[in-house]
Amino acid sequence: MLVIRRHPGESILIGGEIELEVIECGHNRVKLGIRAPQHIPVMRAEVKATREQNLAAAQSISGGAIPAGLGRRARGGPAVPLLGGGPA
Amino acid sequence: MNYQTAHWGLIAVDESSTVEFPEGLPGFEECRGFVLLQHPEHAGLVFLQSLERAELCFLALPVRAVRPDYSLALSGEDTALLGFPEDGQPVLGSDVLALAILSLAEGRMPTANLLSPVVIHSRTRRAVQAIRPDQRYGCREPLEETVCL
Repeated sequence: MLVIRRHPGESILIGGEIELEVIECGHNRVKLGIRAPQHIPVMRAEVKATREQNLAAAQSISGGAIPAGLGRRARGGPAVPLLGGGPA
Repeated sequence: MNYQTAHWGLIAVDESSTVEFPEGLPGFEECRGFVLLQHPEHAGLVFLQSLERAELCFLALPVRAVRPDYSLALSGEDTALLGFPEDGQPVLGSDVLALAILSLAEGRMPTANLLSPVVIHSRTRRAVQAIRPDQRYGCREPLEETVCL
């Protein structure tokens, strides 16, 4: 990994198209500005992990893999809304 | 209003039971409207059914069903998006409901995403998938045996 020291107001260029500027340096966090072409997705690393996890989780219900013991078993019936409203 | 769903067939959804994600969820940014369903066969589980995509339905559990001592950590951005003062933390249970999305796959241990719970304002039903600013929990936390009783 390339490590570079920068002061607030200074930037780094990546591939000529991406500019990373250190805007502010606080006590335990850094504020960065990123300038990149539209086609390059910019996101926080945790968002990427969450995104991948969501895409995988979306398959959970169709896999038919809900363990029988997950959630308390009761007699069959319609699915009901959790907030407000009554049963469908 | 009636919605066609892939797993529940046609469901009647009252306006008061819908949840709005103004920014969608990572990977599903275009999905803004959801309804929370519970099913008697899996009474503890919460199904987060999309109102826009019939086949999209997440399985979730309240965070404290996964970890009884779970405490919320929302970024100022997410707190503000939900409509709370940016410098405070909403109270789990009274101000907000927090759900961990589950990942289930044949032959693998079920996991819960405790890094980024779905946090829902109990009154306005505005929601956000709030990524914790700390690293206290991961997005693939194994479910404890006690949840699966």
